[in-house]
Amino acid sequence: MPSLYVHVPFCIQKCDYCAFYSHSLMESPKGLISVYLEGLEIEMVKRQKDAPQGVSSLFIGGGTPTVLTETDLERLLAMIQRYFPMDLGVEKTMEGNPGTLTDEKIQLIRSFGINRFSLGIQSFSDQLLSAVGRVHTVKQAREAIRGLRKAGFKNLNLDLMFGLPAQDMRIWQASIEEALSYSPEHLSLYGLMLEEGTPLYEQYVTTTTLAFNKSSSVILQVDQLPDEDLQTEMYEWAVKRLRHEGYRQYETSNFARPGYECQHNLGYWRGADYLGIGPGGVSCLNRVRWKNIEEVHAYKNLLFKGQSPLDKSGQEVLSLRVCMAERMILGLRLEEGVQLKAFENDFGADLRDIYRDVLERYHNRDIFIIQGGYICLNPKYSFVANSILQEFV
Amino acid sequence: MAQASQRIRNFSIIAHIDHGKSTLADRLIEYTGALSKREMEAQVLDSMDLERERGITIKLQAVQLSYPAKDGEIYQLNLIDTPGHVDFTYEVSRSLAACEGALLVVDAVQGIEAQTLANVYLALENNLELISVINKIDLPSAEPERVKQEIEDVIGLDASEAILASAKTGIGIEEILERIVTMVPPPQGEDQAPLKALIFDSKFDAYKGAISYVRIVEGRVSKGTKMKMMSSGKSFEVTEVGVFAPSMRIVDELKAGQVGFICASIKNVKDTQVGDTITDAENPADIPLPGYRKATPMVFCGLYPVEASDYNRLRDSLEKLHLNDASLIYEPETSIALGFGFRCGFLGLLHMEIVQERLEREYDLNMITTAPSVIYKVNTLKGEVLSIDNPSNLPTVDQIVSIEEPIVKATILVPSEYVGAIMELNQEKRGTYSNMDYVSKSRVRLIYELPLSEIVFDYFDQLKSRTKGYASLDYELSGYKETDLVKIDVLLNGEMVDALSFIVHRAKSYNRGRKLVEKLRGIIPRHMFEIPIQSVIGNKVIARETVSAMRKDVLSKCYGGDISRKRKLLEKQKAGKKRMKQVGSVEIPQDAFMAVLQIED
Repeated sequence: MPSLYVHVPFCIQKCDYCAFYSHSLMESPKGLISVYLEGLEIEMVKRQKDAPQGVSSLFIGGGTPTVLTETDLERLLAMIQRYFPMDLGVEKTMEGNPGTLTDEKIQLIRSFGINRFSLGIQSFSDQLLSAVGRVHTVKQAREAIRGLRKAGFKNLNLDLMFGLPAQDMRIWQASIEEALSYSPEHLSLYGLMLEEGTPLYEQYVTTTTLAFNKSSSVILQVDQLPDEDLQTEMYEWAVKRLRHEGYRQYETSNFARPGYECQHNLGYWRGADYLGIGPGGVSCLNRVRWKNIEEVHAYKNLLFKGQSPLDKSGQEVLSLRVCMAERMILGLRLEEGVQLKAFENDFGADLRDIYRDVLERYHNRDIFIIQGGYICLNPKYSFVANSILQEFV
Repeated sequence: MAQASQRIRNFSIIAHIDHGKSTLADRLIEYTGALSKREMEAQVLDSMDLERERGITIKLQAVQLSYPAKDGEIYQLNLIDTPGHVDFTYEVSRSLAACEGALLVVDAVQGIEAQTLANVYLALENNLELISVINKIDLPSAEPERVKQEIEDVIGLDASEAILASAKTGIGIEEILERIVTMVPPPQGEDQAPLKALIFDSKFDAYKGAISYVRIVEGRVSKGTKMKMMSSGKSFEVTEVGVFAPSMRIVDELKAGQVGFICASIKNVKDTQVGDTITDAENPADIPLPGYRKATPMVFCGLYPVEASDYNRLRDSLEKLHLNDASLIYEPETSIALGFGFRCGFLGLLHMEIVQERLEREYDLNMITTAPSVIYKVNTLKGEVLSIDNPSNLPTVDQIVSIEEPIVKATILVPSEYVGAIMELNQEKRGTYSNMDYVSKSRVRLIYELPLSEIVFDYFDQLKSRTKGYASLDYELSGYKETDLVKIDVLLNGEMVDALSFIVHRAKSYNRGRKLVEKLRGIIPRHMFEIPIQSVIGNKVIARETVSAMRKDVLSKCYGGDISRKRKLLEKQKAGKKRMKQVGSVEIPQDAFMAVLQIED
């Protein structure tokens, strides 16, 4: 049974670090949301057949789903309920930003059975928020958390970021402490990544060609960004602090009270199939991955003509080798690791045979732990995982 | 004597890099209509991409021009192009030997440079008629009168009739052509005499075999001639002869005085040795023409494939390059750190760079280059004299009586205000002053004895930076000298990396050893563990730095929409790592092996 992701490609304004597809509502023509919703409904009708047994979880993300007006939100939620009905107990998450949430919207969301909310706090410092182009204030963040709790949300995630421009250890600790004071069931801690094409990347990264040997390399203008050592200290401090508070670090960047791990995201990391609906949505079914076209009008027009809204360049038939590699690179981000039996069931081979070379090369270095039918990464190395994960691609 | 050869002129152009030689050659080709303007690709003679990009000439080229002179006769002018860089002096001497005259092109702003001077001396040795051309007179800062004076003072040529020209705008082109006709003597040589053709270059062609570029000195040759190489005695049947017009054009016959090419289905380019004389097997000449002195490689480095499986491809590519570049030598060697590779010898640093670049571009090879070294002569206790071209082969100290290093005679031309800077530089580089004179009011010629290893180090860059680019350098090997030298080895994570070893004067050893580990600390990426870097002389550690362990290397977010992208990112990272060489548990980037050259004294 695949999971269902619904993409809402609208924001009040894009954040300076964001590389996702999203329209700034301030710059969009009126009526774009209607165009989006019209297209979305046709896609849902078409895609029902991809989930004959229903879907295992729901995640409405973006963008910022909560920028939609109450009327539009209701249309969206009703649509999902109609075409992809889910049992009460199924995890249903909506993502949103403070500043776009009203009590009325919260009530509405709640009434449609959304039982988990993920709030993009990023920082409890107004100065840092404006430094990365976030439009909300700390005050609005606090109000949003209270509002969600008041409406009865018992599964709440807060996103926080470290490695932000001018952020120091003290500011980071203060943000973590404040987040903990709201007793969220789940926390996601993300290190700032400079992605190409974002304003922050332009600001901090320049490509310089070293004169000698003509090798090209990327030089960070790091004067204001916390360096590798400080970022590591921030991360390690938080890992320790959250563990002390009873959170389990079940994935590199994700922490949860026992039983509150995000089922939807666990699906991705364990290699389950998923449907991604909406402009820019990515789906993966039976080892074929595809992406919807991003532009809203083109998306709707294709659907109106009875065609699939595919982005041709985003289509990929995953070879067995690639599938296995992805299972490893995603699974090794999990605390539990990769289940040997699940790997064997899905790929017909023991991963210890497939990756014998890699495992032997690192044999003496205490990097992989194989026990209880799982292989996982020694947590000591989870913050330098890339150099190990590379071995599997 | 045949009338025809009276209307042939063979000439070359002597000029410093950037003084406009290639542009002038293009203009001559265009003026005489060998190619229409439309067909002209900028700078026809520099046909390699690399030559055009860098604005330099590496290989010899030849072109035949047909010029209707003012005296009513049509003349055949053969231009043989020459490289302008000190590394290729040897190639210049080859082209000059095939000519009777040369254009001396001097930049109206820059004046005479050291390499031009060296080439002028070569031309005078070959008894060539020199025609002075002052180029770029269209530039606002041109000083033709000063440059004329310089030509007279420095070279001793009468410059009163020097042609003022601008290859860019076309000024003076006709005058140059006229002057070639009137001043350059027609080739001597009897076309009825037995064949004597001087091979001044050769090229390998997959279809035609080895092609000899020749100057016919006496006799004639055509398709079907049984030709014989005078050095080896090997015979071949000529399959075609032709001229450069400027692309290869087949003709019926080449005769005394002409420049062209001969094909004879020769499989092995070694059978067309540059400097050899071709004669007619059925009517051979008695004595060959005087050949060339052989080019001796002066700079050596190791070339290793990053992927061990590329070894054979590297060998084949070197072999192919060698076909057209006899001065490149190579032999297999093994490094503990780098595996199987080749020790290669080059005429100089530019030559080395060019070969490396061609291997990478034309043969798509991913290579590691070790820092260049010179040949040291080592006298051992056993009484042997060893030639060491690879520092890691230096015997241990207890077996060495003495080490000698190659010394060059360096000629530097520089505006007088920089004399102090040059003297300071030469002192730092262990130079010995031998002479200084004023070649004109404001320009000085300095002659120094310098260790070649110092020139290979960073001399050229220093020379340019300390004189704002005004100094020019020419050098030739003058001998060997005993010196107090030591070998510095580098240990990474406790393991010696033989390819990083280098030989240096004892007085400089501590400084360079320290600077090198500092440099390496910046080049070697962080690993998952700490890496000590040490430089040692014998067993003694003289410097140490540490690359601290990597602390953060992780993808922050990885959800359904980004899985493909993140996987590709990891693939890219992995590919980047592949370009590095793994020695023990340490991944070493290619740059590290050249790092010793990047440190300043």
